[in-house]
Amino acid sequence: MSVGTLAPEVMRASLAGAGLALRIPPITVRLRSPLQFLADQIHALYRDYDWLAADAYADIDIRMLPVGGLRRWGAAQVQFIVDGVTPFEPFPIRYALPMFEWGLNWVVSHRLHAHLLLHCAVVARDEGAVLLPAWPGSGKSTLSAALACGGWRFLSDEYGLVALDDARLMPFVRPVALKNESIEVMRAFAPDAFIGPVFPKTRKGRVAHLRPPKESIRRGEQPVVARAIVFPDFRSGEATTVKRVPGAAAFLKLAGNAFNYEVIGEPAFHAVAALVRGCDVWVLRYGDLVGARAAIDEIMSEAEVR
Amino acid sequence: MTSEADIKWRIPSGQRLVFEDFDDGIVMFDALFGSTHLLNATAAEALAIVESEPGLDTRRIHSRLIERLAIEADSLPIAAVDDLLWRLEDLSLVGGFFE
Repeated sequence: MSVGTLAPEVMRASLAGAGLALRIPPITVRLRSPLQFLADQIHALYRDYDWLAADAYADIDIRMLPVGGLRRWGAAQVQFIVDGVTPFEPFPIRYALPMFEWGLNWVVSHRLHAHLLLHCAVVARDEGAVLLPAWPGSGKSTLSAALACGGWRFLSDEYGLVALDDARLMPFVRPVALKNESIEVMRAFAPDAFIGPVFPKTRKGRVAHLRPPKESIRRGEQPVVARAIVFPDFRSGEATTVKRVPGAAAFLKLAGNAFNYEVIGEPAFHAVAALVRGCDVWVLRYGDLVGARAAIDEIMSEAEVR
Repeated sequence: MTSEADIKWRIPSGQRLVFEDFDDGIVMFDALFGSTHLLNATAAEALAIVESEPGLDTRRIHSRLIERLAIEADSLPIAAVDDLLWRLEDLSLVGGFFE
């Protein structure tokens, strides 16, 4: 059953009570919160995700609670609590949704060591995936959102989950975190896409979340084989160019981009080697989404006949 | 009396080296410390020689390298090999010992 089948008042009551276990393959997250506006935002953004009964097994238990005690005399704040631990200082209460998203990212980065975690977006066409590894500001979220809204299957805008036994990519479909001008870019590029409320003046600037395509969520348990690795490099106003990256350089760029390469050790080394050997690797410099999408289409077409 | 010329080389106990060979270099995983290194062909061959034949001195490693890389002896001075081995020793990838 998807979250969207729940009436909004049932959603609010569930989160305020025993909680709701959201199935976000490959993990299940139980969320509890008395904040009705957060329940409504989650209801809209996670509309197409499956939910499980509150007592179902959850990998991660998160509570988003208004802060009590002395702080209640100041501006209202919200605390992120994961499995009883509060890893962050509270946020202003209106930022509960971005705090939930960032907090969940933080938990995943620190715990999901059964996979090699690359800091990258992943999209797929047919059964082959393109990895878009990059650090913040390079445009990977916007580019992956544009591809997803253009018919590509969306696997993630933040994490490449690489299976350690066969280097296949596991989906981790989450709402896309758009920042600053990317919000307006995506509104213009994909006017039918659902984008949640805009949160101004966060530590990353303005932030809004784009709901992933329903079909990508439906296929959230189906891994794909990587066919190409493209390091995006957004440069406003520049023409689209691609440059091939040789194997050893690609290896070091990719390993250096992982959250947990050192934690995993030798299996991570073999996984990165398998990815580099199985993929064409490119740096894509681009100044607009149309040019970037055309370049990735072409890279993928070449990779598919390789 | 012993001198540096008497030093023999081996892979440190517990060390295991894993190589991946690409067109633009060799990537190597140091299983003891969990670090990853980018090597050129000379360094990778030197490590492979030390790993397969522990106890060789610098002169013999130099000879093996000349053979395996199929190059002229004067294109790889023994001093460069000595320098290379000490750099690998700095990274704990090889260890020197006296017999």
